[in-house]
Amino acid sequence: MSVLAEHHDELRAVARSLLAPTSPTAGGGSSPGPVDWALVADAGWTGMEAPEHLGGSGATFAEVALLAEEMGRTATAGPFLGTVVLGVGALLLVEGTEGPDELLAGVADGTATVAVACADGAVDAVPPAAPFRLDAEGRLHGRAELVPDATEADVVLCLAATEDGPGALVAVRRGDPGLTLEPADLVDATRTAATVRADSGAVSPASVWRLPVPVEEAAGALADRAACALAGDALGGARAMLEATVEYAKVRRQFDRAIGSFQAVKHICADMLVATEVSDRLVAAAVRAVAEGGAAGPAVSMAKAHAGEAGVQVAGAAMQLHGGIGYTWESGVHAHLKRALFDRSAFGSPRAHRRRLVERHRHP
Amino acid sequence: MSAPTDLGAFRAEVRDWCRSNVPDGWRSAQTGVDDAGFVAFQKDWFAALRARGWAVPHWPAEWGGGLSTDQQVVLYQELARADAPRLVLAFVSVHHAASTLFEAGTDEQRRRHLPAILDGEIWCQGFSEPEAGSDLAALRTTARRDGDHYVVNGQKVWASGALHADWCLLLVRTSPDAPKRRGITYLLMDMDLPGVDVRPIRNATGESHFCEVFLSDVRVPVSCRVGDEDAGWQVAQATLGAERGMTMLELAERLGHAGFPWLVELCRRPDPTGQRPIDDAAVADRLAALECEVAALRTMCADLVSRHETGDVGPADASIVKLFYSELLQRLTDLGADVAGLGGQTVVAKPASSGWESGSWVLDFIGSWEWTIPGGTSEIQRSIIGERGLGLPREPMPS
Repeated sequence: MSVLAEHHDELRAVARSLLAPTSPTAGGGSSPGPVDWALVADAGWTGMEAPEHLGGSGATFAEVALLAEEMGRTATAGPFLGTVVLGVGALLLVEGTEGPDELLAGVADGTATVAVACADGAVDAVPPAAPFRLDAEGRLHGRAELVPDATEADVVLCLAATEDGPGALVAVRRGDPGLTLEPADLVDATRTAATVRADSGAVSPASVWRLPVPVEEAAGALADRAACALAGDALGGARAMLEATVEYAKVRRQFDRAIGSFQAVKHICADMLVATEVSDRLVAAAVRAVAEGGAAGPAVSMAKAHAGEAGVQVAGAAMQLHGGIGYTWESGVHAHLKRALFDRSAFGSPRAHRRRLVERHRHP
Repeated sequence: MSAPTDLGAFRAEVRDWCRSNVPDGWRSAQTGVDDAGFVAFQKDWFAALRARGWAVPHWPAEWGGGLSTDQQVVLYQELARADAPRLVLAFVSVHHAASTLFEAGTDEQRRRHLPAILDGEIWCQGFSEPEAGSDLAALRTTARRDGDHYVVNGQKVWASGALHADWCLLLVRTSPDAPKRRGITYLLMDMDLPGVDVRPIRNATGESHFCEVFLSDVRVPVSCRVGDEDAGWQVAQATLGAERGMTMLELAERLGHAGFPWLVELCRRPDPTGQRPIDDAAVADRLAALECEVAALRTMCADLVSRHETGDVGPADASIVKLFYSELLQRLTDLGADVAGLGGQTVVAKPASSGWESGSWVLDFIGSWEWTIPGGTSEIQRSIIGERGLGLPREPMPS
């Protein structure tokens, strides 16, 4: 086994012991509540990609994606998507100046959480434009809908086009009057999101962090990170639902037999495994592509399209094969199904990602 | 494992060779060809590959193979990319017959047959019977010991290529009273022996490569037995998986390099009203979904091959790949047939010697059932995946 594979196995084992208690199916409860963020930071997970001199581990997106998958497995609530997947991804773009470095250090030690308002409505696989605009007088305009983890974030990073230069991240602190947050009620109780609105409020120049790349490129790269992590989350959820279903089908007896001995049940379990295996390969390829930093778009879209759908298919089959128990609040299967539905829709639906894929084929 | 740079050089070598050796226009020449034309072309192509050392890349070097796993992967990728013909006729010979001989044959059997296979000896497989399909162990063809011969009587079916075969891998029942998996013996049978009668079965696409084989008092020498008497089931189990995923990899690479790009091309072709199917959102959506699945299949096959290499193949890995490939092939050719429309119905012949995706979409779609039924139906595969892969309990046997 390679050193990297061993390292990943260890990380996975640590994640399983740390995250296990919050699993809705294991605990039998329905709303496990958010994971203890200080614990997550202590484990080094918030600063995974942050440079070591800022308290991070200098690791790669591959480790972040592994954790995303484990959190999907346990349907863990907490600001991982906003802070670690998107927040750190955005901050790494502008790293090396005082403001971003300070915030990165805060994220790494668990004292700061972040949300990134980088896509408006999240309806397409590729965000069409930056959702915010910073005018020449330093006033911020625009809105972004359903920004993950914005409700409780200490800082919201708004991706903004600027009058000159490639664009900027505008860091708005919690409670700053320039920004309005409208928290949304979500069916998936393990996630939070808020619509972020800027109504021409003036922002301090110190909170405007100029991007080294065009704002559209930054938006695309961040959306790819989010889509890839969500695909991993969906895969983790599918694995958990498959395992729970197989265990249940082995012990639940009807007509004097374990229900798993019926072909009608067994064959659905086989299809759940195949769908999970296919997602596994596509997610692995997407994670590699994002971690390597090249053009990850096609690999990410393949993973998001397939794993997004497979997550819902597998969680739905889990509910079906658990029978009446599976439909109860108590069983927790619903929590995974709802999370899978969030994963499928956020940062580009399967159809949106397939549109992006097919664009490459329209002309020879 | 070869170093990447060596692999790059090998890839260039294969590509060059394909450029000058894949026969020009073989597809049209093989479309509507008669049986003799198909057999002659297959034998020529096999001889060309053999001359270059690439007909049996997976065999040990001392028998004429010896490419590393990585090189085999590259070879199949490049053959697929060059749209080379497939080795259809020699398939059982170079895979099943060879793996049986390598895994369980005697030295004498290997010396007799392996060089002959390289010289073009053709094999077929006599496993299934009319009453033993998915339940293969229920086979009834009998072999009675008579001195140093077995006297074989019975009927085999679905023996692909039997009409052109020189030899047959044969499962027979030697102990009728033993439990059904413990009374089976594995024989190598010369198809020229008296009492062997082969009749082709016309299949759903109109082709006749499947055959029935009737056996009446066929005298097979005991020296042609593989493994012990009554241990044939174990020999068959051990050798069926011995192709180590490489044949699935070849098929997956063909789907990636030929099948899918042709489907894209078809979808870009304007229909009679000038509309391009690819501009239809529903077609585009299905096309992209297939692209995801083909990409995953290729990785799954590469994984399967490397797991064989490292010795950690899961008990259901081969079934997962077979099930996913065959149903994906069916979905892909279905879209091809759908997009080709009524015009597609006018393509009434497909090139022989091609892969399962020949570009004759309607016939390819019909032919896809040849993947979801033989070699363990999709239903059998799902049961294997459920039981061996997931550990679900077996169906209770009726007492």
